[in-house]
Amino acid sequence: MRPLRFALAQGLLLNEALAALRAIGLDVSGVTPGGRRLVVDGGEVEFVLARPSDIATYVERGAADLAIVGKDVLLETGARVMELVDLGFGACRFVVAAPRGAVERSLDEYRHLGTLEVATKYPNVAERHFRDRDIAVEIVKVAGSAEVAPLVGLADWIVDLVATGRTLRANGLAIVEEIASSTARLVANPASYHLRRREIAPLVEGLAAWAAAR
Amino acid sequence: MLEVQNIYMNQQSPIGPPRGFRDILPTEARELGVIEQTLSETFADSGFTPLYPPLLEYGADDSVRRRRIQFLDSDGSLVALRPDLTTSVARLVAGRYRDMTGVLRLSYIAPVFREEPAMSGGSREILQAGVELVGGDGALADAEILALLAESLERAGLSVCESTLQVGNIALASGLFAALPDEVRSVVLQALRQGDIAEGLKSARDAGMPADQLEHAARALTGSEGGVEGPEAIELCRAIELARERWSGTVRAWGIPNLGLVPALPYYTGIVFEAIHPDAGVIASGGRYDLLIGAYGKPRPAIGFAIDVLQLHRALFAESWRPRLQRPLVLLRASADERATLRCAASLRAGGLAVALGDVAERAGRAVIAAQVIDERLVKLDDGRVAEAATLGREIGS
Repeated sequence: MRPLRFALAQGLLLNEALAALRAIGLDVSGVTPGGRRLVVDGGEVEFVLARPSDIATYVERGAADLAIVGKDVLLETGARVMELVDLGFGACRFVVAAPRGAVERSLDEYRHLGTLEVATKYPNVAERHFRDRDIAVEIVKVAGSAEVAPLVGLADWIVDLVATGRTLRANGLAIVEEIASSTARLVANPASYHLRRREIAPLVEGLAAWAAAR
Repeated sequence: MLEVQNIYMNQQSPIGPPRGFRDILPTEARELGVIEQTLSETFADSGFTPLYPPLLEYGADDSVRRRRIQFLDSDGSLVALRPDLTTSVARLVAGRYRDMTGVLRLSYIAPVFREEPAMSGGSREILQAGVELVGGDGALADAEILALLAESLERAGLSVCESTLQVGNIALASGLFAALPDEVRSVVLQALRQGDIAEGLKSARDAGMPADQLEHAARALTGSEGGVEGPEAIELCRAIELARERWSGTVRAWGIPNLGLVPALPYYTGIVFEAIHPDAGVIASGGRYDLLIGAYGKPRPAIGFAIDVLQLHRALFAESWRPRLQRPLVLLRASADERATLRCAASLRAGGLAVALGDVAERAGRAVIAAQVIDERLVKLDDGRVAEAATLGREIGS
């Protein structure tokens, strides 16, 4: 059987994920953030670096056995994986935001026109949220910088992921409501988790203890 | 002819089947046929009788509707392509067998249909082979069905090793959270069904579950020795050992106790099990569902499993399995005498050979012998040898 394959999200979570893995005694010396090698041998564990949204796909389809990935990615992709440990770092929130002082105006528009335009990089999270609230919206999918959308008249509101809220404030936006909060999770492919539980369990125990001690 | 072509051109419909459905061509179909035959023989050897539930069942606007392929019937009622057969069997047992209180042993090999998001590569048609034992109660029935799954996979050609079969128990997993009030416990179980162990444990902690019990639950669900310690584990091991009695020491040990095994389907009430293969993922799942039939009528204890035949085939293929060889096919070139050609073909068939007149392009991996009709009794093979049609089958067979 091939070594356990552990997928890691390139980007904001990578440094803390590596710190956590180092803390439980895994050899992550071959993994260099921003490096060119995307498959790295780490002894009993092989590391794969990929974009966060692809990681959910890797694990769901069994191309990777384990991964550290944000709950935000799991919420947006709806990937069917097992969530084993809440690692606590990488905290951020999905929020609905609108231009400061324009919430009343957009609600008035909603009363007259019956629908709101919402720009977002996360159409699934946004769609589910407004459907649960029974608010009629048109979702406008953008690939980046949703916070610009209200400024240029592309949409009334945005749904975005925020850590500190500084970008929102810089663009004159205020949080209307919070949808969900997110932190990094240790996830596993369900079949791999059951099949290779003896190899995976020590990592789960180690990371759970590491997260609890933080 | 030209007109017919134009009709098709104008429609501009795609030439392949809809997303998530595919054609199964002869090479694959032949291998699947061999697997299906083995499985139905294995089921029959334990007294199971095949039945055919309908393709369509009534749909519903419930929490799992997004996983069903549902649409409106011509009379306006909501119908669904059956998403699994256990539910169909439960419905028909509660209805058609409402006055029969004895044990039912039912089996099926049939497709089920599940919605998959676009671009996920998921198949929407799944071929299931399974059994349902209705009225069977207790540890003996649990062991018999678990053992039948192991035997079915093994007879199909899979090497069943220790970790192939994972055995859990919903009642025991739920019992880990016995200290919690009912409504919190059902929230925890719902999280576990979705694979979210982290969320399940968090809900339990937030509800004030004592730390030692929480730790015991966490160890049972995620620990390396989880399922092999504590009273729950002893009960699981007993079920596995009883199932293995069927072979009394002649087979490799199989079966791992695993309390973390909590399937997504909500109807399980007791023992649950999954067969998992490193290349194909989950190839079979099953368990006890004592309350499902009661949702349609009188409650009856029941247990069963379903094998995903295409995933089993994938697992077998990964292990270099190939179906046993069929007898070769004779491709018979006709002579000028058509009556003699037909008689010669009949004679070859009577001698135990499969015969096709002329060539066959799709041979599905089957061995072929080319032969030329000389007269109604004799054929000439490609190596120049002349053979008796009536005895060629025996010569090749020997």
